[in-house]
Amino acid sequence: MKDNVIIRFSNATIAYQHRTALTNINLEIYQGEFLGIIGPNGSGKTTLLKSILGLVRPSHGTVQIFDCACHKLRCHHKARIGYIPQKGQIDHNFPVTVMETVMMGRYSSIGLFRRPSNDDRELVKKALVEVEMDGYTNAPLGHLSGGQQQRVLIARALVQQPEVLLMDEPTTGIDTPTQYSMIKLISNLQKNLKLTVLLVTHDINMISPYVDRMALINTQLHAIGTPAEVLNEKVLSDIYGKQVVVATRSGGTYVIVGDYHHA
Amino acid sequence: MLEMLSYEFIQRALIASVIIGLVCSIIGVFVILRNLTFIGAGTSHAAFAGVTLGYLLNYNPLYFAVVFSLLTVWIVGYLNRMGYLKLDASVGIFYSLTMALAVLFIGLMKVYNAEVYGYLFGSILSVTKGDLAVILILGLAVLSLVYIFFKEFHFITFDEELAKASGIPAGWLSFLLLTMIAMTIVISLKSVGAILVFALIVTPAAAAYQLTYSMIRMFLYSAIIGIGSSVGGVFLSYWLDLPSGATTVLFVSALFFLSLILSPKRGYNS
Repeated sequence: MKDNVIIRFSNATIAYQHRTALTNINLEIYQGEFLGIIGPNGSGKTTLLKSILGLVRPSHGTVQIFDCACHKLRCHHKARIGYIPQKGQIDHNFPVTVMETVMMGRYSSIGLFRRPSNDDRELVKKALVEVEMDGYTNAPLGHLSGGQQQRVLIARALVQQPEVLLMDEPTTGIDTPTQYSMIKLISNLQKNLKLTVLLVTHDINMISPYVDRMALINTQLHAIGTPAEVLNEKVLSDIYGKQVVVATRSGGTYVIVGDYHHA
Repeated sequence: MLEMLSYEFIQRALIASVIIGLVCSIIGVFVILRNLTFIGAGTSHAAFAGVTLGYLLNYNPLYFAVVFSLLTVWIVGYLNRMGYLKLDASVGIFYSLTMALAVLFIGLMKVYNAEVYGYLFGSILSVTKGDLAVILILGLAVLSLVYIFFKEFHFITFDEELAKASGIPAGWLSFLLLTMIAMTIVISLKSVGAILVFALIVTPAAAAYQLTYSMIRMFLYSAIIGIGSSVGGVFLSYWLDLPSGATTVLFVSALFFLSLILSPKRGYNS
Protein backbone atom coordinates (compact mmCIF):
# COMPACT_ATOMS: atom_id res chain seq x y z
CA MET A 1 0.00 0.00 0.00
CA LYS A 2 2.76 2.44 0.93
CA ASP A 3 4.14 2.35 -2.62
CA ASN A 4 0.88 3.68 -4.02
CA VAL A 5 0.84 7.25 -2.77
CA ILE A 6 -1.85 9.11 -4.74
CA ILE A 7 -1.91 12.40 -2.78
CA ARG A 8 1.12 13.94 -1.11
CA PHE A 9 1.38 17.04 1.11
CA SER A 10 5.03 18.07 1.61
CA ASN A 11 5.58 20.84 4.19
CA ALA A 12 2.44 22.49 2.83
CA THR A 13 1.32 25.78 4.35
CA ILE A 14 -1.87 27.37 3.06
CA ALA A 15 -2.79 30.90 4.02
CA TYR A 16 -5.71 33.18 3.18
CA GLN A 17 -5.42 36.97 3.24
CA HIS A 18 -5.60 37.39 7.00
CA ARG A 19 -4.99 33.94 8.47
CA THR A 20 -3.09 30.71 8.03
CA ALA A 21 -5.46 27.79 7.50
CA LEU A 22 -2.92 24.97 7.42
CA THR A 23 0.68 24.94 8.62
CA ASN A 24 3.48 22.62 7.53
CA ILE A 25 1.33 19.63 6.59
CA ASN A 26 3.14 16.40 5.72
CA LEU A 27 0.71 13.71 4.70
CA GLU A 28 0.65 10.81 2.26
CA ILE A 29 -2.65 9.29 1.17
CA TYR A 30 -2.59 5.88 -0.46
CA GLN A 31 -4.52 4.59 -3.42
CA GLY A 32 -7.72 2.80 -2.42
CA GLU A 33 -7.77 3.92 1.21
CA PHE A 34 -10.66 5.44 3.14
CA LEU A 35 -9.33 8.38 5.16
CA GLY A 36 -11.49 10.24 7.67
CA ILE A 37 -10.47 13.83 8.40
CA ILE A 38 -11.56 15.20 11.76
CA GLY A 39 -10.97 18.40 13.72
CA PRO A 40 -12.84 21.32 15.28
CA ASN A 41 -14.55 24.11 13.31
CA GLY A 42 -12.08 26.32 11.45
CA SER A 43 -9.30 23.75 11.74
CA GLY A 44 -8.56 23.70 7.98
CA LYS A 45 -10.34 20.48 6.97
CA THR A 46 -12.19 22.06 4.02
CA THR A 47 -9.04 23.95 3.00
CA LEU A 48 -7.22 20.61 2.87
CA LEU A 49 -9.76 19.30 0.33
CA LYS A 50 -9.74 22.57 -1.64
CA SER A 51 -5.96 22.45 -1.90
CA ILE A 52 -6.22 18.98 -3.48
CA LEU A 53 -8.75 20.38 -5.96
CA GLY A 54 -6.38 23.23 -6.78
CA LEU A 55 -8.89 25.84 -5.62
CA VAL A 56 -6.33 27.19 -3.14
CA ARG A 57 -2.56 26.87 -3.51
CA PRO A 58 0.10 26.50 -0.83
CA SER A 59 2.24 29.53 0.03
CA HIS A 60 5.00 27.12 1.08
CA GLY A 61 5.59 23.47 0.27
CA THR A 62 3.66 21.39 -2.24
CA VAL A 63 0.40 19.49 -2.63
CA GLN A 64 0.41 16.81 -5.32
CA ILE A 65 -2.11 14.39 -6.74
CA PHE A 66 -1.37 11.86 -9.50
CA ASP A 67 2.22 13.20 -9.25
CA CYS A 68 1.09 16.67 -10.45
CA ALA A 69 0.99 19.91 -8.47
CA CYS A 70 -2.69 20.33 -7.57
CA HIS A 71 -2.92 23.99 -8.65
CA LYS A 72 -1.66 23.04 -12.12
CA LEU A 73 -4.18 20.24 -12.73
CA ARG A 74 -5.69 20.10 -16.20
CA CYS A 75 -9.27 19.12 -17.01
CA HIS A 76 -8.48 15.45 -17.58
CA HIS A 77 -6.90 15.26 -14.13
CA LYS A 78 -9.77 17.12 -12.48
CA ALA A 79 -12.19 14.65 -14.06
CA ARG A 80 -10.47 11.92 -12.01
CA ILE A 81 -11.40 13.70 -8.75
CA GLY A 82 -15.01 13.57 -7.56
CA TYR A 83 -15.93 16.34 -5.13
CA ILE A 84 -18.94 16.61 -2.88
CA PRO A 85 -18.84 20.08 -1.26
CA GLN A 86 -20.35 21.04 2.05
CA LYS A 87 -24.05 21.05 1.31
CA GLY A 88 -25.42 24.56 1.21
CA GLN A 89 -29.13 25.20 1.14
CA ILE A 90 -30.29 24.17 -2.32
CA ASP A 91 -32.90 26.63 -3.58
CA HIS A 92 -36.20 24.73 -3.48
CA ASN A 93 -37.27 26.34 -6.75
CA PHE A 94 -33.98 26.23 -8.69
CA PRO A 95 -34.79 24.79 -12.11
CA VAL A 96 -32.63 21.66 -12.18
CA THR A 97 -33.70 18.01 -12.25
CA VAL A 98 -31.89 15.03 -10.74
CA MET A 99 -30.82 13.89 -14.23
CA GLU A 100 -29.43 17.37 -15.09
CA THR A 101 -27.57 17.60 -11.77
CA VAL A 102 -25.84 14.24 -12.21
CA MET A 103 -25.08 14.97 -15.88
CA MET A 104 -23.04 18.02 -14.74
CA GLY A 105 -20.47 15.51 -13.51
CA ARG A 106 -19.86 14.51 -17.15
CA TYR A 107 -19.34 18.04 -18.46
CA SER A 108 -15.57 18.24 -17.99
CA SER A 109 -15.14 14.86 -19.72
CA ILE A 110 -17.49 15.86 -22.56
CA GLY A 111 -15.53 19.09 -23.08
CA LEU A 112 -16.51 22.47 -24.48
CA PHE A 113 -18.67 22.75 -27.64
CA ARG A 114 -20.10 19.21 -27.29
CA ARG A 115 -23.41 17.85 -26.09
CA PRO A 116 -23.96 14.81 -23.80
CA SER A 117 -24.19 11.55 -25.77
CA ASN A 118 -26.29 8.43 -25.14
CA ASP A 119 -23.25 6.90 -23.42
CA ASP A 120 -23.19 9.85 -21.00
CA ARG A 121 -26.90 9.36 -20.31
CA GLU A 122 -26.29 5.65 -19.61
CA LEU A 123 -23.49 6.53 -17.16
CA VAL A 124 -25.86 8.92 -15.36
CA LYS A 125 -28.52 6.21 -15.07
CA LYS A 126 -25.92 3.73 -13.76
CA ALA A 127 -24.68 6.23 -11.15
CA LEU A 128 -28.26 6.85 -10.00
CA VAL A 129 -28.76 3.08 -9.61
CA GLU A 130 -25.57 2.90 -7.51
CA VAL A 131 -26.93 5.48 -5.04
CA GLU A 132 -30.46 4.00 -5.23
CA MET A 133 -31.97 7.16 -6.73
CA ASP A 134 -32.92 5.77 -10.15
CA GLY A 135 -36.61 6.32 -9.44
CA TYR A 136 -36.15 10.11 -9.24
CA THR A 137 -34.56 10.89 -12.60
CA ASN A 138 -36.89 13.72 -13.57
CA ALA A 139 -37.66 15.04 -10.08
CA PRO A 140 -36.63 18.64 -9.30
CA LEU A 141 -33.55 18.51 -7.04
CA GLY A 142 -35.04 21.02 -4.62
CA HIS A 143 -38.00 18.71 -3.93
CA LEU A 144 -35.87 15.92 -2.48
CA SER A 145 -35.02 15.41 1.20
CA GLY A 146 -31.52 16.33 2.45
CA GLY A 147 -30.40 12.67 2.34
CA GLN A 148 -31.75 12.17 -1.18
CA GLN A 149 -30.06 15.37 -2.38
CA GLN A 150 -26.78 14.14 -0.94
CA ARG A 151 -27.15 10.81 -2.77
CA VAL A 152 -27.72 12.73 -6.00
CA LEU A 153 -24.56 14.78 -5.37
CA ILE A 154 -22.64 11.53 -4.74
CA ALA A 155 -23.99 10.21 -8.07
CA ARG A 156 -22.82 13.46 -9.70
CA ALA A 157 -19.31 12.74 -8.41
CA LEU A 158 -19.44 9.04 -9.36
CA VAL A 159 -20.52 9.73 -12.93
CA GLN A 160 -17.10 11.33 -13.46
CA GLN A 161 -15.71 7.79 -12.95
CA PRO A 162 -13.26 9.24 -10.43
CA GLU A 163 -10.28 7.57 -8.77
CA VAL A 164 -10.44 9.91 -5.79
CA LEU A 165 -13.56 11.05 -3.97
CA LEU A 166 -13.39 14.14 -1.73
CA MET A 167 -16.38 14.57 0.58
CA ASP A 168 -16.91 17.59 2.83
CA GLU A 169 -19.30 16.78 5.67
CA PRO A 170 -21.67 14.71 3.51
CA THR A 171 -23.92 13.79 6.44
CA THR A 172 -24.57 17.30 7.77
CA GLY A 173 -28.23 18.22 8.12
CA ILE A 174 -29.44 14.64 7.72
CA ASP A 175 -31.28 12.54 10.34
CA THR A 176 -29.23 9.91 12.19
CA PRO A 177 -30.55 6.71 10.48
CA THR A 178 -30.00 8.33 7.07
CA GLN A 179 -26.48 9.36 8.13
CA TYR A 180 -25.64 5.72 8.88
CA SER A 181 -27.08 4.49 5.57
CA MET A 182 -25.10 7.23 3.79
CA ILE A 183 -21.79 6.19 5.42
CA LYS A 184 -22.51 2.53 4.58
CA LEU A 185 -23.24 3.51 0.99
CA ILE A 186 -19.96 5.47 0.77
CA SER A 187 -18.04 2.57 2.32
CA ASN A 188 -19.57 0.08 -0.16
CA LEU A 189 -18.83 2.35 -3.11
CA GLN A 190 -15.25 2.80 -1.90
CA LYS A 191 -14.73 -0.97 -1.75
CA ASN A 192 -16.65 -1.90 -4.92
CA LEU A 193 -15.20 0.85 -7.11
CA LYS A 194 -11.75 0.76 -5.43
CA LEU A 195 -11.92 4.50 -4.75
CA THR A 196 -9.61 6.58 -2.62
CA VAL A 197 -11.98 8.44 -0.31
CA LEU A 198 -11.22 11.48 1.87
CA LEU A 199 -14.17 12.30 4.08
CA VAL A 200 -14.30 15.39 6.28
CA THR A 201 -16.65 15.06 9.22
CA HIS A 202 -17.40 16.09 12.78
CA ASP A 203 -19.00 12.75 13.53
CA ILE A 204 -16.07 10.69 14.72
CA ASN A 205 -18.16 7.79 16.02
CA MET A 206 -20.06 7.34 12.80
CA ILE A 207 -17.03 6.98 10.56
CA SER A 208 -14.56 5.20 12.86
CA PRO A 209 -15.84 1.65 12.04
CA TYR A 210 -15.52 2.28 8.30
CA VAL A 211 -12.31 4.24 7.71
CA ASP A 212 -8.84 2.75 7.24
CA ARG A 213 -7.14 5.75 8.83
CA MET A 214 -8.05 9.03 10.49
CA ALA A 215 -6.27 12.37 10.31
CA LEU A 216 -6.77 14.78 13.21
CA ILE A 217 -6.26 18.37 12.09
CA ASN A 218 -6.26 21.70 13.85
CA THR A 219 -4.27 23.97 11.52
CA GLN A 220 -1.52 21.38 11.88
CA LEU A 221 -1.68 17.63 11.44
CA HIS A 222 -1.85 16.42 15.06
CA ALA A 223 -2.33 12.71 14.50
CA ILE A 224 -2.65 10.21 11.67
CA GLY A 225 -3.27 6.47 11.94
CA THR A 226 -5.98 3.89 12.53
CA PRO A 227 -8.96 5.06 14.61
CA ALA A 228 -7.59 3.17 17.60
CA GLU A 229 -4.27 5.04 17.27
CA VAL A 230 -5.75 8.51 16.74
CA LEU A 231 -8.66 8.47 19.16
CA ASN A 232 -6.61 9.30 22.21
CA GLU A 233 -8.26 11.06 25.15
CA LYS A 234 -5.38 13.47 25.82
CA VAL A 235 -4.87 14.47 22.18
CA LEU A 236 -8.59 14.95 21.54
CA SER A 237 -9.04 16.95 24.78
CA ASP A 238 -6.19 19.26 23.78
CA ILE A 239 -7.59 19.79 20.28
CA TYR A 240 -11.27 20.26 21.15
CA GLY A 241 -10.65 22.09 24.43
CA LYS A 242 -13.16 19.86 26.19
CA GLN A 243 -12.98 16.75 28.29
CA VAL A 244 -13.03 13.66 26.10
CA VAL A 245 -13.73 10.06 27.00
CA VAL A 246 -12.77 7.26 24.61
CA ALA A 247 -14.62 3.98 25.16
CA THR A 248 -14.25 0.64 23.42
CA ARG A 249 -17.26 -1.57 22.90
CA SER A 250 -17.85 -4.58 20.64
CA GLY A 251 -14.51 -3.93 18.94
CA GLY A 252 -15.46 -0.32 18.07
CA THR A 253 -13.92 2.87 19.47
CA TYR A 254 -16.32 5.61 20.56
CA VAL A 255 -15.69 9.19 21.61
CA ILE A 256 -17.74 11.27 24.02
CA VAL A 257 -16.93 14.98 23.97
CA GLY A 258 -18.27 17.50 26.44
CA ASP A 259 -17.99 18.90 29.94
CA TYR A 260 -17.90 15.41 31.34
CA HIS A 261 -17.57 14.89 35.08
CA HIS A 262 -16.76 11.60 36.76
CA ALA A 263 -19.10 10.69 39.59
CA MET B 1 -54.31 45.85 -38.43
CA LEU B 2 -53.11 44.88 -41.95
CA GLU B 3 -52.84 48.56 -42.79
CA MET B 4 -50.58 49.02 -39.79
CA LEU B 5 -48.30 46.20 -40.99
CA SER B 6 -47.88 47.83 -44.38
CA TYR B 7 -45.79 50.66 -42.88
CA GLU B 8 -42.08 50.01 -43.16
CA PHE B 9 -41.29 51.56 -39.77
CA ILE B 10 -43.81 49.21 -38.11
CA GLN B 11 -42.24 46.21 -39.86
CA ARG B 12 -38.80 47.23 -38.60
CA ALA B 13 -40.20 47.82 -35.10
CA LEU B 14 -41.81 44.36 -35.04
CA ILE B 15 -38.65 42.57 -36.23
CA ALA B 16 -36.60 44.48 -33.65
CA SER B 17 -39.19 43.61 -30.96
CA VAL B 18 -38.96 39.90 -31.70
CA ILE B 19 -35.13 39.88 -31.58
CA ILE B 20 -34.87 42.09 -28.49
CA GLY B 21 -37.66 40.24 -26.70
CA LEU B 22 -35.93 36.93 -27.40
CA VAL B 23 -32.38 37.97 -26.49
CA CYS B 24 -33.39 39.88 -23.32
CA SER B 25 -35.59 37.04 -22.04
CA ILE B 26 -32.95 34.35 -22.68
CA ILE B 27 -30.11 36.27 -21.04
CA GLY B 28 -32.55 37.21 -18.26
CA VAL B 29 -32.74 33.58 -17.15
CA PHE B 30 -29.06 33.68 -16.15
CA VAL B 31 -29.48 37.17 -14.63
CA ILE B 32 -32.29 35.91 -12.37
CA LEU B 33 -30.69 32.60 -11.42
CA ARG B 34 -27.25 34.12 -10.74
CA ASN B 35 -28.70 37.05 -8.75
CA LEU B 36 -27.28 39.60 -11.20
CA THR B 37 -30.44 41.69 -11.31
CA PHE B 38 -28.84 44.92 -10.13
CA ILE B 39 -25.98 44.61 -12.60
CA GLY B 40 -28.52 44.94 -15.43
CA ALA B 41 -29.72 48.26 -14.01
CA GLY B 42 -26.18 49.57 -13.47
CA THR B 43 -25.01 48.57 -16.95
CA SER B 44 -27.96 50.14 -18.75
CA HIS B 45 -27.21 53.46 -17.07
CA ALA B 46 -23.51 53.13 -17.98
CA ALA B 47 -24.54 52.50 -21.60
CA PHE B 48 -26.69 55.64 -21.50
CA ALA B 49 -23.68 57.65 -20.31
CA GLY B 50 -21.82 56.29 -23.35
CA VAL B 51 -24.64 57.41 -25.63
CA THR B 52 -24.53 60.96 -24.25
CA LEU B 53 -20.74 61.11 -24.74
CA GLY B 54 -21.20 59.89 -28.31
CA TYR B 55 -23.66 62.72 -29.03
CA LEU B 56 -21.41 65.26 -27.29
CA LEU B 57 -18.40 64.27 -29.42
CA ASN B 58 -20.54 63.79 -32.52
CA TYR B 59 -19.62 60.12 -32.98
CA ASN B 60 -21.87 57.04 -33.27
CA PRO B 61 -23.35 56.79 -29.74
CA LEU B 62 -23.54 53.00 -30.00
CA TYR B 63 -19.74 52.64 -29.94
CA PHE B 64 -19.51 54.59 -26.71
CA ALA B 65 -22.42 52.65 -25.22
CA VAL B 66 -20.52 49.40 -25.93
CA VAL B 67 -17.31 50.71 -24.31
CA PHE B 68 -19.07 52.12 -21.20
CA SER B 69 -21.20 49.03 -20.59
CA LEU B 70 -18.31 46.60 -21.12
CA LEU B 71 -16.01 48.57 -18.81
CA THR B 72 -18.74 48.59 -16.16
CA VAL B 73 -19.45 44.82 -16.19
CA TRP B 74 -15.76 43.91 -16.39
CA ILE B 75 -14.65 46.21 -13.53
CA VAL B 76 -17.63 45.23 -11.36
CA GLY B 77 -17.04 41.54 -12.12
CA TYR B 78 -13.31 41.84 -11.35
CA LEU B 79 -13.86 43.65 -8.03
CA ASN B 80 -16.34 40.97 -7.00
CA ARG B 81 -14.14 38.05 -8.11
CA MET B 82 -11.09 39.37 -6.28
CA GLY B 83 -13.17 39.83 -3.12
CA TYR B 84 -12.52 43.60 -3.00
CA LEU B 85 -16.19 44.63 -3.00
CA LYS B 86 -19.56 42.93 -3.12
CA LEU B 87 -21.34 43.04 -6.45
CA ASP B 88 -24.27 45.22 -5.32
CA ALA B 89 -21.95 47.79 -3.73
CA SER B 90 -19.74 48.18 -6.82
CA VAL B 91 -22.77 48.27 -9.14
CA GLY B 92 -24.25 50.98 -6.90
CA ILE B 93 -21.08 53.05 -7.29
CA PHE B 94 -21.04 52.67 -11.09
CA TYR B 95 -24.79 53.29 -11.31
CA SER B 96 -24.46 56.74 -9.75
CA LEU B 97 -21.07 57.51 -11.34
CA THR B 98 -22.28 56.83 -14.89
CA MET B 99 -25.53 58.70 -14.34
CA ALA B 100 -23.50 61.66 -13.09
CA LEU B 101 -21.38 61.44 -16.26
CA ALA B 102 -24.55 61.29 -18.39
CA VAL B 103 -25.93 64.42 -16.70
CA LEU B 104 -22.54 66.12 -17.13
CA PHE B 105 -22.31 65.26 -20.85
CA ILE B 106 -25.90 66.46 -21.45
CA GLY B 107 -25.03 69.68 -19.62
CA LEU B 108 -21.99 70.19 -21.85
CA MET B 109 -24.14 69.96 -24.99
CA LYS B 110 -24.77 73.41 -26.43
CA VAL B 111 -28.29 72.63 -27.66
CA TYR B 112 -31.17 70.46 -26.51
CA ASN B 113 -30.96 67.02 -28.15
CA ALA B 114 -34.25 65.08 -28.18
CA GLU B 115 -32.55 61.94 -29.54
CA VAL B 116 -30.59 61.54 -26.30
CA TYR B 117 -33.84 61.35 -24.34
CA GLY B 118 -35.05 58.75 -26.84
CA TYR B 119 -32.28 56.48 -25.51
CA LEU B 120 -33.47 57.06 -21.96
CA PHE B 121 -37.09 56.07 -22.50
CA GLY B 122 -36.89 54.08 -25.77
CA SER B 123 -38.53 54.55 -29.13
CA ILE B 124 -38.87 51.31 -31.05
CA LEU B 125 -40.93 52.95 -33.80
CA SER B 126 -37.87 55.01 -34.77
CA VAL B 127 -35.55 52.01 -35.35
CA THR B 128 -33.65 52.47 -38.62
CA LYS B 129 -32.32 49.83 -41.05
CA GLY B 130 -28.84 50.40 -39.61
CA ASP B 131 -30.11 49.91 -36.04
CA LEU B 132 -31.87 46.73 -37.12
CA ALA B 133 -28.66 45.32 -38.61
CA VAL B 134 -26.78 45.93 -35.34
CA ILE B 135 -29.62 44.41 -33.30
CA LEU B 136 -29.64 41.35 -35.57
CA ILE B 137 -25.87 40.77 -35.59
CA LEU B 138 -25.29 41.30 -31.85
CA GLY B 139 -28.51 39.45 -30.95
CA LEU B 140 -27.48 36.41 -32.97
CA ALA B 141 -24.00 36.54 -31.41
CA VAL B 142 -25.47 36.48 -27.88
CA LEU B 143 -27.91 33.67 -28.70
CA SER B 144 -25.18 31.62 -30.39
CA LEU B 145 -22.95 31.91 -27.33
CA VAL B 146 -25.81 30.80 -25.07
CA TYR B 147 -26.33 27.76 -27.34
CA ILE B 148 -22.61 26.89 -27.54
CA PHE B 149 -21.88 27.18 -23.81
CA PHE B 150 -25.31 26.22 -22.51
CA LYS B 151 -24.19 23.26 -20.39
CA GLU B 152 -21.28 25.20 -18.87
CA PHE B 153 -23.48 28.23 -18.09
CA HIS B 154 -26.04 25.91 -16.49
CA PHE B 155 -23.32 24.36 -14.30
CA ILE B 156 -21.75 27.65 -13.13
CA THR B 157 -25.23 29.02 -12.47
CA PHE B 158 -26.01 25.98 -10.29
CA ASP B 159 -22.70 26.00 -8.36
CA GLU B 160 -19.71 27.97 -9.62
CA GLU B 161 -17.17 26.52 -7.19
CA LEU B 162 -18.22 22.95 -7.95
CA ALA B 163 -17.98 23.70 -11.68
CA LYS B 164 -14.48 25.09 -11.18
CA ALA B 165 -13.45 22.04 -9.12
CA SER B 166 -14.73 19.82 -11.96
CA GLY B 167 -12.48 21.51 -14.50
CA ILE B 168 -15.00 23.92 -16.05
CA PRO B 169 -13.30 27.28 -16.86
CA ALA B 170 -15.75 29.09 -14.60
CA GLY B 171 -13.73 32.30 -14.37
CA TRP B 172 -13.72 33.33 -18.01
CA LEU B 173 -17.21 31.92 -18.61
CA SER B 174 -18.54 34.25 -15.89
CA PHE B 175 -16.90 37.21 -17.62
CA LEU B 176 -18.28 36.04 -20.97
CA LEU B 177 -21.76 35.98 -19.43
CA LEU B 178 -21.31 39.52 -18.08
CA THR B 179 -20.15 40.61 -21.56
CA MET B 180 -23.28 39.06 -23.09
CA ILE B 181 -25.46 40.94 -20.58
CA ALA B 182 -23.74 44.19 -21.60
CA MET B 183 -24.27 43.45 -25.33
CA THR B 184 -27.94 42.65 -24.72
CA ILE B 185 -28.41 46.02 -23.01
CA VAL B 186 -26.65 47.87 -25.84
CA ILE B 187 -28.85 46.39 -28.57
CA SER B 188 -32.00 47.16 -26.58
CA LEU B 189 -31.07 50.70 -25.64
CA LYS B 190 -32.64 52.62 -28.52
CA SER B 191 -35.80 50.51 -28.64
CA VAL B 192 -36.68 50.11 -24.99
CA GLY B 193 -34.53 52.77 -23.33
CA ALA B 194 -31.90 52.71 -20.60
CA ILE B 195 -34.46 52.82 -17.81
CA LEU B 196 -36.84 50.20 -19.14
CA VAL B 197 -34.48 47.65 -20.76
CA PHE B 198 -33.80 46.30 -17.32
CA ALA B 199 -37.48 45.25 -17.03
CA LEU B 200 -37.35 43.36 -20.33
CA ILE B 201 -34.36 41.36 -19.09
CA VAL B 202 -35.58 40.61 -15.58
CA THR B 203 -39.37 40.32 -15.77
CA PRO B 204 -39.91 37.58 -18.44
CA ALA B 205 -37.35 35.34 -16.72
CA ALA B 206 -38.85 36.08 -13.28
CA ALA B 207 -42.30 35.17 -14.64
CA ALA B 208 -40.95 31.95 -16.22
CA TYR B 209 -39.24 31.09 -12.92
CA GLN B 210 -42.69 30.97 -11.30
CA LEU B 211 -43.96 28.45 -13.81
CA THR B 212 -41.44 25.60 -14.02
CA TYR B 213 -38.75 23.50 -12.34
CA SER B 214 -36.95 22.74 -15.61
CA MET B 215 -34.20 25.00 -16.97
CA ILE B 216 -35.10 24.25 -20.60
CA ARG B 217 -38.75 25.13 -19.97
CA MET B 218 -37.72 28.26 -18.12
CA PHE B 219 -35.90 29.42 -21.27
CA LEU B 220 -38.91 28.52 -23.42
CA TYR B 221 -41.48 30.30 -21.21
CA SER B 222 -39.21 33.31 -20.74
CA ALA B 223 -38.75 33.62 -24.53
CA ILE B 224 -42.52 33.39 -25.17
CA ILE B 225 -43.26 36.01 -22.50
CA GLY B 226 -40.39 38.25 -23.69
CA ILE B 227 -41.34 38.17 -27.39
CA GLY B 228 -45.06 38.39 -26.60
CA SER B 229 -44.59 41.46 -24.40
CA SER B 230 -42.22 43.16 -26.79
CA VAL B 231 -44.51 42.70 -29.82
CA GLY B 232 -47.63 43.38 -27.74
CA GLY B 233 -46.03 46.61 -26.53
CA VAL B 234 -45.52 47.79 -30.13
CA PHE B 235 -49.18 47.14 -31.05
CA LEU B 236 -50.42 48.89 -27.90
CA SER B 237 -48.11 51.80 -28.56
CA TYR B 238 -49.40 52.21 -32.13
CA TRP B 239 -53.08 51.80 -31.29
CA LEU B 240 -53.14 53.90 -28.14
CA ASP B 241 -50.50 56.39 -29.31
CA LEU B 242 -48.45 55.85 -26.17
CA PRO B 243 -44.65 55.54 -25.69
CA SER B 244 -43.58 52.02 -26.77
CA GLY B 245 -41.12 51.48 -23.87
CA ALA B 246 -43.87 52.12 -21.33
CA THR B 247 -46.46 49.88 -23.04
CA THR B 248 -43.93 47.03 -23.32
CA VAL B 249 -42.97 47.16 -19.65
CA LEU B 250 -46.60 47.44 -18.52
CA PHE B 251 -47.46 44.44 -20.71
CA VAL B 252 -44.62 42.26 -19.34
CA SER B 253 -45.37 43.32 -15.76
CA ALA B 254 -49.00 42.24 -16.21
CA LEU B 255 -47.76 38.83 -17.42
CA PHE B 256 -45.49 38.58 -14.39
CA PHE B 257 -48.37 39.12 -11.96
CA LEU B 258 -50.41 36.57 -13.91
CA SER B 259 -47.58 34.04 -13.57
CA LEU B 260 -47.53 34.64 -9.81
CA ILE B 261 -51.21 33.74 -9.65
CA LEU B 262 -50.83 30.69 -11.90
CA SER B 263 -47.55 29.49 -10.35
CA PRO B 264 -47.51 25.83 -9.34
CA LYS B 265 -44.83 26.84 -6.83
CA ARG B 266 -46.89 29.18 -4.70
CA GLY B 267 -50.02 30.11 -6.60
CA TYR B 268 -53.48 28.57 -6.50
CA ASN B 269 -52.17 25.19 -7.72
CA SER B 270 -49.75 24.63 -4.83
